[in-house]
Amino acid sequence: MAIENRDVRFAPVKTSAVIGPLVVALIVAPASWVASAIMLGTLLPFTLGMILAGTASRRAAERQLAALAALSGLFVDRVTHLPLIRHFGAEARIGRQVRTATGEVARRTISVLRTAFLSNAVLEFFSALSIALVAVYCGFSLLGLLPFPAPEKLTLVPAFFVLAMAPEFYLPMRRLAAAYHEKQLGEAAEQALAPFASTPAPDPQAAAAFDGLRVQHLVLSFPGLSVGPLDFALERCDLAALSGATGSGKTSTLAAIAGQLVPASGCIGSLSGEALPHGGVAWAAQRPLLIAGTLARNLALAAPCASEADILAVARRVGLGDVLARRGGLAMPIDHAGSGLSGGERRRIGLARAILSGRPLILCDEPTADLDAESAAAVIALLKELSAERCILVATHDPALIRASRMEIAL
Amino acid sequence: MSAHLPTGAEPLPDLLAAAGVARRQLFLASLCSSFAAIAAIGLLAVSGWFLTSAALAGSAGLAAAAAFNYLVPSAAIRLLAIVRTLSRYGERLLSHKVALEGMAQLRGSLFDKLAAQDSRHAPDTSPGEASTRLIDDVEALEDLVIRQPARQAAIVSALVSLALVAFGGGRALVFLSVVMAALPVLFRRISERLTRGPAEEAAAALGHLRIRYVELAGCRAEIAAYGLADEALVELEPIALRLDKARADLFRAEALQGALLSIYGGAAVAGILLLARESAPMVALAMLATVSAVEAMGGLSRSLLRRASLDAGLRRIAALNALDGCLHEPVIAAPSPLTLGTRRFSAGARVALTGPSGSGKTRILLSLAGMQPSSAPLRIGEAPLEGLSPEHLKSRFALSPQDAPMLIGTVADNLRLARPGVTESDMWAALKVAQLDRRIARSEAGLDTPVDEGGGLLSGGERKRLSIARALLAGRPWLMLDEPSEGLDAATEAALVESLRGWLDRTGNGLILVSHRKVPLALCEEEVEVAGLSQASSHVANAGTRKDSGARKDADTG
Repeated sequence: MAIENRDVRFAPVKTSAVIGPLVVALIVAPASWVASAIMLGTLLPFTLGMILAGTASRRAAERQLAALAALSGLFVDRVTHLPLIRHFGAEARIGRQVRTATGEVARRTISVLRTAFLSNAVLEFFSALSIALVAVYCGFSLLGLLPFPAPEKLTLVPAFFVLAMAPEFYLPMRRLAAAYHEKQLGEAAEQALAPFASTPAPDPQAAAAFDGLRVQHLVLSFPGLSVGPLDFALERCDLAALSGATGSGKTSTLAAIAGQLVPASGCIGSLSGEALPHGGVAWAAQRPLLIAGTLARNLALAAPCASEADILAVARRVGLGDVLARRGGLAMPIDHAGSGLSGGERRRIGLARAILSGRPLILCDEPTADLDAESAAAVIALLKELSAERCILVATHDPALIRASRMEIAL
Repeated sequence: MSAHLPTGAEPLPDLLAAAGVARRQLFLASLCSSFAAIAAIGLLAVSGWFLTSAALAGSAGLAAAAAFNYLVPSAAIRLLAIVRTLSRYGERLLSHKVALEGMAQLRGSLFDKLAAQDSRHAPDTSPGEASTRLIDDVEALEDLVIRQPARQAAIVSALVSLALVAFGGGRALVFLSVVMAALPVLFRRISERLTRGPAEEAAAALGHLRIRYVELAGCRAEIAAYGLADEALVELEPIALRLDKARADLFRAEALQGALLSIYGGAAVAGILLLARESAPMVALAMLATVSAVEAMGGLSRSLLRRASLDAGLRRIAALNALDGCLHEPVIAAPSPLTLGTRRFSAGARVALTGPSGSGKTRILLSLAGMQPSSAPLRIGEAPLEGLSPEHLKSRFALSPQDAPMLIGTVADNLRLARPGVTESDMWAALKVAQLDRRIARSEAGLDTPVDEGGGLLSGGERKRLSIARALLAGRPWLMLDEPSEGLDAATEAALVESLRGWLDRTGNGLILVSHRKVPLALCEEEVEVAGLSQASSHVANAGTRKDSGARKDADTG
């Protein structure tokens, strides 16, 4: 938003701020070259003033953006959790915290604005000075009372014209200064976003067909979490369970294999030592992405070319048959909040999506968590059956699922 | 000021009062603004008059030129330049300060009012919507306050311009008065046709876009794995396109408006030139004053319109502001028995709620916690749940919800939520019962370990235990746990259940448990089948001993 405001408001004004005054000076020159020179003369101190005020306020803008982001996050967070806050009777205490945060943002914003307004005042002053100087020069010139030999002969009409044009000289720059605050916020926002813009490019070299997963000396190291070194190998068709005490980094290990986390050291590749094929990893999420559309579209999100028959077969296979019968088949509409779907049904949509994607390696994050015993057993049976055709790595602490796996990798 | 606002502006004064907008400072800002406007007009008008008089004196010969008093006007011109600069700086700083501080206050007070509502009937505020109301709408109000001094100055400067035009003669004055009076009306007509639609559309599209974006951000891992970023963007695209189109329409309309205003101003100046019958310097003064007057009126009309387009947002905040924000005194409750359907449990009982997924076990916990309307016949003492105030429920129950929600902040922030006056040693004791003390002690930051919406450095199971520790700290007679051992490995689960048993024995508190796992269920002495509860209140609830609970977990609703 801040960046957009900068692009929309600042960029075009900037161009006109450079060209505008020069055009005005050119237009004025034939009427009175002295007036034109006076205008240009006041431009220099003005530019210096702007630069000085500008550098000071940039740093303040960065601080303010951080505070604004924190405030925005804090508000959304606290309002989202209002039922919890009310439940514990913490309304007044959290209210005070919110007040402190909003007050802090107001304070920082004012300090940024103070410098922005100062640069504006510099501008206003020179613009007023320019008009005053031009007026006084023209007046004295018309009176014939200039304290120095008149450099040109001025009459009323050109003098009036020059005076009317004088405010125009500074107008584009006044608009620029008004937009300056947006520029600073925009730049600070761009800097804050920069780390996210550089996503790792996919490995350009086409990898060989997937023949299994090999993880060697994998070490993950983040604040508060360290995993490994891990060494394991999975066959092309396999079912392995990544187990371990809660918080030992199961999900992070899956994310590293999916290429979403950069490991501290070690390597992840196919059994023959090649890189994993690009787009070879499916992710069955605990809470899958749902987009507004039909059930079919949601199931085939990772396989847009799947035929209706394929989709139907997979949907039945993961146990969505009941839902299909109950709510009108594959054409059943789904909204983005997944209204009317239970947690287990969503989990199954995630699994169906992974199967339909045709990707050889499926990563499942806690596929049986929060399910009752019978649903969990059905999911385990399905994973077991799938392991005859895919390589599946689950992160779980469900003993039944661990027992069903060929191998347990304990963290 | 309110007299100049369009009709339907009622919410504003109340909101400003709630914001505690400092009236004195706002008045000073208006004063500065008026000075600045008058100085700007004066600068042009005096210059024009000075030039013309100087030219006349100059052409009348050297004697006239020498007699011409140039000191006063040239000093006035310089003075006006300085006054304008200083007063505009003052206006900007003061009006922003007043507005920003006032809005910070308003946000806090709106939050308090929302917080004072009963969760069972409170408007369901989604995260995206909350940020729209509390951030965007209040920002719009802030803008309004910031511009208020400028609006007053515009009126002052229009009046001053009229006074100056009077030097150009009565006819010019009447003409300009009519021209200026007609301007806001014309401007409003044109703008309503041109800008109102796009402005409202843009605001609606922006709110919509924000809500959807928050939702999509929750599915990051999957979007990254399948490269679904494009799909996600497609989801956002129609909304973004709608927003872009509305904005483009708005900019076009505004540009057209600006052009029309310039033409109007030109026509007004031409009219003055034709009508003014006074001396040339006076006509020059009148013409330059006219330019300022039309500009001021244009600015005023524009800002009145902007005010109108903000009405929807103002009404939204006013609706929040109208909520009763009075916090009720906390109630100290004596331990009282709890009736679920027909089963009555004395204080200190340990009860498991059973039933297949989706039968409403969690719903019962949330009802008792005062977080949702009740769906089953529940009574505390003899009083039905619906009739009890939220304060009564808060004083009796402490819930650790299934999804273990955490405030963004630190471990300590989340534990302090439980009740006022929690000490560090209280925290460590609760963490020890929840089997989380060693994990937190290992972490470098200790109790200041950060927690955020995704759990921060804590895993799912750790969040769960932190949420249990929080419920323990609340010190209420009934502890309610929803799937307390979900996400835990078997060893941690066993240790947690043992230490919870010890805590319950020590404190004598009651327990209401929902779990589909066997180990925690061993904590409970009694059990209630939920399906029977909510279906028929008159019927004897289908309750039994825990032995046959496994057989009853049949219907798989997923």
